[in-house]
Amino acid sequence: MNDLQIHSKITSMEIDVLQALHQRTLEKYTSGPSIDRARLFFLLLPFFDGKKWSDDVEDSAKTVAIVYAALHAHDQVEEDTPISKSQQLTVLAGDFYSGIYYQMLSNTNNVKLIQLLASGIIGVSEKKASLYEKTVMPISGVEAAAEVIETELLNIFYDYYGFTQYNSIAKPALEYVYFSNQLDAYRNGVETNILRKLNLALPLPLYSERWLLDKLDGLHSELTKALDGHSMDFNLKNFMLHQITPHQHLAEQLTREG
Amino acid sequence: MEKVKLKLLYSDLRPELEMIEKELEVAVGSNSLLLNEASLHLLQAGGKRIRPVFVLLAGKFGDYNVEVMKQVAVPLELIHMASLVHDDVIDDSEMRRGQATVKAQWNNSVAMYTGDFILARALEYITVIENPKIHNILSKTMIEVCRGEIIQIEDKFKLDQTVRDYLRRIKRKTALLISSSCELGATVSGTDDETAARLRRFGYFIGMSFQITDDILDFTSSDEELGKPAGSDFIQGNITLPVLFARKDPVIYSRLKDMVGKDMTDSERMEVVEMIRNSSALKEAKAVSDLYLDKALQELVHLPKGNANKTMRKIALFIGKRKF
Repeated sequence: MNDLQIHSKITSMEIDVLQALHQRTLEKYTSGPSIDRARLFFLLLPFFDGKKWSDDVEDSAKTVAIVYAALHAHDQVEEDTPISKSQQLTVLAGDFYSGIYYQMLSNTNNVKLIQLLASGIIGVSEKKASLYEKTVMPISGVEAAAEVIETELLNIFYDYYGFTQYNSIAKPALEYVYFSNQLDAYRNGVETNILRKLNLALPLPLYSERWLLDKLDGLHSELTKALDGHSMDFNLKNFMLHQITPHQHLAEQLTREG
Repeated sequence: MEKVKLKLLYSDLRPELEMIEKELEVAVGSNSLLLNEASLHLLQAGGKRIRPVFVLLAGKFGDYNVEVMKQVAVPLELIHMASLVHDDVIDDSEMRRGQATVKAQWNNSVAMYTGDFILARALEYITVIENPKIHNILSKTMIEVCRGEIIQIEDKFKLDQTVRDYLRRIKRKTALLISSSCELGATVSGTDDETAARLRRFGYFIGMSFQITDDILDFTSSDEELGKPAGSDFIQGNITLPVLFARKDPVIYSRLKDMVGKDMTDSERMEVVEMIRNSSALKEAKAVSDLYLDKALQELVHLPKGNANKTMRKIALFIGKRKF
């Protein structure tokens, strides 16, 4: 499968998910559902890798993408802002998307997956809330929170359909994307919850950038190693390394900057 | 006081409701200290638990097993709680049932995650039941409730909406969840389809009457009775049935048009409240509420007689007469 075919399949799934979540008012007043293409890639990875794939599995993959969109909508709710249609409808968007995923799985009688995803959402919500606790979180806590927030629901999907062999690849890759976004936020002066916790956990807030760069190096090595031990198609591995986690090692960056 | 009176009506269900209360407490338990605290805060604020009551009462028309009934009653209350905590973010509310809202006590994000957590707990709970019909009814209800709230926001400050728009909105916003509570209670206890359909309609009519009464009370009750300023719905831009009837008078219409969406002073707010109180609008709205109430009572006539039927009738009549 070449890059174009991969992109095309991801786009097709993205369109299906957007159609399932279409709601005129929400589209008018909110930023719309967030459908992360990297996440779609990992939901489709067993398909790309030639595993047995049915319409039911693909529908379930879409519902996982919808759950992420629901939770992401609620991440966008702002603090201390005057009442606005946009804010109010962002709250409702998340609830509406949750209803859609529940209905989609109900329609296919997939009650077990509804239950598993609900348990996953509980775990994700707990980790997201933990970032608001006043106590100082150790670095390991920050890492654990990121792992659960980014990969828990995907792992549930993999486990349910017997695709567990992809857990070790998706974990470092999605965490890589996550921390890479945190690094961008840091460099743009945006303070996220994770960055706030990181700043508190490290001896000096200034160390955060270095920690993130080291983390990205570590995750990229972990991903490369996981891919080395996997028999999937070379193009697929290449796609992952160059399009999902395009990485520049810390040493390389320092050399260029120096 | 009113809440106590209402609870007296279903005192037969006390042991089951106490069990459900304990189950709710267990259900909102979380590994996160913050979510644990926020969820308990919400739970301890209390409530009428009207949805579990309707689940249990509807279940009495079938093969009643409280262990099975609670698998539906608990999640329905959890879904209601989750929607309340999110509604407080939507309305930027500081107080609910006399205590600080989760968003006021913590912040908007904590309120969002608390709602997500409670909703997920509800789904985790109800999926113990494998009957697909249960999940089809509930998921459809959840979507429709959201649609109702979305429309409510869209229709805010629109004085020219129709009565039909209003009725469609409150159907989704309030009546559906009560209607589904009855239908789910009936379905899970294995009643025949006709009984389930009658109970669903009973819940729908009661829900409509309940919401219209709520909208009337927003004008007739005092600030103290409401726990918020009278006329709050109008201030927030929610155009309710009394306003839709009152606007038929051109003088009132013109004044309402001046006020809607405006940052009103207290005396302007009271002017609107008095205008509605002195018009025929409240009487007309009450007549519509009574119409729904009659329809609800009619459904009960066709259902098997017994304690559950009697209690449902008493609740229906109470809703029609409640003062705040």
